[in-house]
Amino acid sequence: MKDVFITYGSLVTPLGSSVQENLDALKTNVSGVKVVSNSGFKGENWPLAKIDTITENRFSTLLLNSLIELKSNFDNAILQSEKTLFIISTTKADIENFPEDTFSVINEVLYSELGIKNKPIIVSNACISGVLAINLAADYIRLEKFIDVIVVGIDVVSEFVINGFQSLFALSDEIARPFDKTRKGISLGEGVGIVLLSSNKRNSNFHAKYINGSSSNDANHISGPSRTGEGLVRSINETLKRSNIEKNTINFISAHGTGTLYNDEMESIAFQRTELNTIPMNSLKGYFGHTLGAAGVIETIVSMLSMEHNILFQSLGFSEVGTTEKLNLIEKNEFHEINCVLKTASGFGGGNASLILVKEVK
Amino acid sequence: MSIVTSCKLNASSLIINNQLIHTISGDTIDWKRELYNFYSKDYPKFHKMDPLAKMAFLGILGIEKTTDLSVYDDNEVSMIFANKTSSYKSDSNHFENYTKKNLISPSDFVYTLPNILTGELAIYLKWYGENCFYILEKFDLDFYIEQIEIAFSKGKKACLCGWVESSDKSEDLIIFIIENQNNKINKEEIYSYFK
Repeated sequence: MKDVFITYGSLVTPLGSSVQENLDALKTNVSGVKVVSNSGFKGENWPLAKIDTITENRFSTLLLNSLIELKSNFDNAILQSEKTLFIISTTKADIENFPEDTFSVINEVLYSELGIKNKPIIVSNACISGVLAINLAADYIRLEKFIDVIVVGIDVVSEFVINGFQSLFALSDEIARPFDKTRKGISLGEGVGIVLLSSNKRNSNFHAKYINGSSSNDANHISGPSRTGEGLVRSINETLKRSNIEKNTINFISAHGTGTLYNDEMESIAFQRTELNTIPMNSLKGYFGHTLGAAGVIETIVSMLSMEHNILFQSLGFSEVGTTEKLNLIEKNEFHEINCVLKTASGFGGGNASLILVKEVK
Repeated sequence: MSIVTSCKLNASSLIINNQLIHTISGDTIDWKRELYNFYSKDYPKFHKMDPLAKMAFLGILGIEKTTDLSVYDDNEVSMIFANKTSSYKSDSNHFENYTKKNLISPSDFVYTLPNILTGELAIYLKWYGENCFYILEKFDLDFYIEQIEIAFSKGKKACLCGWVESSDKSEDLIIFIIENQNNKINKEEIYSYFK
């Protein structure tokens, strides 16, 4: 099967405006989540991972900000090529602009700012969008439809989404504590992560090889995770099968870990059923909050940083086992060789997705 | 013929395999409820669904008029769904709740994701397979053909493709099942089918 390489292109979150700034912040285990007063439906002060410097037009500003680093990493010959496709992963796009069109701004910005040649594809599949978009990017390259595919994962914090998650009683009144015994729910976040998948090596610093990925539906409930983790189990098993690798070659799992009781419990069961529960694992929601459609891409970038710098980042907010099945959550930053990473995601609509990357030695 | 079955529906008609099966009177408040009654199907979850999911479900019932979907294993059909306005109707509902009615409702919010409809279909059909929802400017057969090609390259036996739109302007659904025949896709056949 044709080789597909993946590298990072841009990362803008409350922790920093570039991949390097985010890496520096992650190393010190700081959280981007802060209490925002009067952010709730009834004036609650929810902890949120918002980017302070953005005060209006959050979505288009965030998208524009992310293109600065993208342009510095890849030249126009790639960005403007006929053989380059953009895939956008977002749940609600420019929802602050509702009831006006919330998605059209994406194409406007990409055409005008980058001069792209092909019509972008927008994946909007709840919280697994980012992993699905990366899997789709690899599919396009393997079928030789494109040479380069750039995946942009982006979502913003909005009144619309805060009110929604508040109605579900899914928000935590302290910084999210994924997998911890005292976890109370999610902290919403915003950000954008951009990765480039290619049949060529496009970055002078780091590449991973995209091995394979898959997705599976729980076929169980539209908003509650499966009690048996069935969809996640199926997706992980299918990804392992397609990847043709042994489980024990996986050095690290970047889990979804939203911080809700039911999601994290479901994941623990799925990792136990797939016999992956002893592999070092983290959730990054304590750093970035839950960035919805951006999460899969942002977390894949951090997985690549773990491989590049041989650092396993602490699963921030975790201190005591809080799931039926015990997981090997990373309690403080660890430094060792990371060659093979499994990334998973689960979301509303019963979706589950996963992918495997292997470090590409220079 | 690799397209097994198709179903199109809107507020005035139900068309299966390009043949008019039923004309919707439009006398009732909701044409989707009228069509649901026409099928004489008992599936209480239908009444909780948002317009997008209702239409997709009604499309599946149309497909089941001529095609037995239980012949497929629970992971061998990929669902490829798209529209232009995402979950606009449900978004409006949730938006009006908190801007005008001073309330927030979990059951309204959940449907503000368009892929909830593929989740509903997965539950109804007990299909655990791959599925994805896309936002496109318009119904674009070439896009579906690419996605079908990708699914078939992974050994999927069939794809359930759908375009489902529910906005203030219109409500429309096109849904079809296409089967994998030696990983070959006859584009001309697909184009002429939808002419």
